[in-house]
Amino acid sequence: MSKILEIKGLSAGYGSLRVIHDLDLIINSGERVGIVGLNGHGKTTLFYAIAGLTHWQRGSIILNGKQIGRTRSQGPGRYTHIVVKEGLSIMPQGDEIFHGLTVEEHLDSGAFTPESWKNRKQKREEILEIFEPLKKLIHTPVGRLSGGERRMVSIGRGMMSEAKMYMADEPTLGLAPKIGKGVLEALLKIDLKNSAMIIAEQNVALLEGRVDRIIGMHAGKLKGEASSSLSMGLKN
Amino acid sequence: MNDIFFLFLNGLTVACIYGLVAVAVSITWSALGLLNLSYGFIFSFAGYGAWLAERHLWGEPIFVLFMGIAAGILGGVIVCLLIFIPVHDKPNFTLRGMIGTIAVSLIGGQVLLQFFGPKAKLLPEFFGYSKIKILDVVITADKIGIIFSSIIMLTLVVKWMKSSRRGLEIRAMMMNPHAAAIVGIGVRKTGLYVMAVTGAMTGLSAVLLSQTYYLSPFSGLTPMIKGVSIALMGGLGSVRGAVIAAIILGFNEALTTKFIGGRYVLMTQFLLIIIVLLIKPRGIAGILDKAREG
Repeated sequence: MSKILEIKGLSAGYGSLRVIHDLDLIINSGERVGIVGLNGHGKTTLFYAIAGLTHWQRGSIILNGKQIGRTRSQGPGRYTHIVVKEGLSIMPQGDEIFHGLTVEEHLDSGAFTPESWKNRKQKREEILEIFEPLKKLIHTPVGRLSGGERRMVSIGRGMMSEAKMYMADEPTLGLAPKIGKGVLEALLKIDLKNSAMIIAEQNVALLEGRVDRIIGMHAGKLKGEASSSLSMGLKN
Repeated sequence: MNDIFFLFLNGLTVACIYGLVAVAVSITWSALGLLNLSYGFIFSFAGYGAWLAERHLWGEPIFVLFMGIAAGILGGVIVCLLIFIPVHDKPNFTLRGMIGTIAVSLIGGQVLLQFFGPKAKLLPEFFGYSKIKILDVVITADKIGIIFSSIIMLTLVVKWMKSSRRGLEIRAMMMNPHAAAIVGIGVRKTGLYVMAVTGAMTGLSAVLLSQTYYLSPFSGLTPMIKGVSIALMGGLGSVRGAVIAAIILGFNEALTTKFIGGRYVLMTQFLLIIIVLLIKPRGIAGILDKAREG
């Protein structure tokens, strides 16, 4: 088992606000990890810091053996495409979609490496097998889809590439429970092989027993850790 | 009847030339968030590029035309390297970008003046001097050439944006820059592509216009003002809106010249733009756009 992601002493935030405080985290290959915490405690910021989308950050982030942490972020997003090419796939929270692109084009936009761009047709088929409802909508602009369908597109986009590290940010947020469960099921179905996955969630019950580890997040720090088979194993 | 046909043709010719600049302004604005006011400079730069190529390389008109387009690409890349890449992630980028591109336009114009002098230059007729007669109206080859080459250019650009990977990246960035970063689209690289493609469009409009009018260091200023105002009327960021606005304003120019007089063109043009923007603040794109946003 090798380390896919190794974070040491990471702090990050926006302007004078510090959201992540001196955080350490190691994710091994083949692992599915849940990060659970309330709104505003830094789950999304942790993801954004890894991707270089926060205003500033410091600390070491090693993704697949390469240092991607920077002491100063040169404006949010400046290096994100480089981090993404190292093998990071982000399935963002909320409506981070392209309204005018069709479902098909949208999925294609997730295939960022030259290799996955070549195999995009086959990959698209695989994703449509998981998200059946999207089959009929393949030529519809994403702006016309419902919330659940949009989330499926956004997660499908993240699955288009052969990433090392998948990060799903609250995949069930704002969805009806049944649809949310379906979306989560799809995430759990991805064959990780050598890669790893982090799922951020507010609802512990959804992840319990289905991921390898659950870590709590509170006020910008990771707290406690439980193997997910222990129910109520979350202690601060 | 003949008069109407003649007017129609004139309007279309004008629309084609300014439409190219307008679409360029529109794409740059929505993909990069940059209101690029340096197209005037890129326009003159491309014109002089074509002129140099004709003098020193080869006088073949089609070659000169393509060299003009190439010079436009080069001009776009220069503006991108000088302005877009240094300031795109600084605070207040929209304003800084606008000021920076105006600066490039002014300084660039002076540099061209220094190099080439104030004397106006003339480019060759690219499409020959032949004429055809349809419905008793004599159509010169340059009009047909202007209309066809602009339409071909626009079709190629739209097709490229629709079917290629880079085009997909540009369209994604036009719709949601933040999400584009998340899927790994690099802003700077995409910026270079956008500026190169829009530079090519400006370059084409420069050589097309300079074969009829003269080429001088600041001859790009009027096309840029017209291009920006057409883009505004079409709704900044919409290619379809810009094309429709270019046609409307092209006909307006032809009609005004015919019935009121050439010097009133800018007046009627801005009057029309103000009326459209009063009714539809987002311009013509506001009428076209039916997609749900947000």
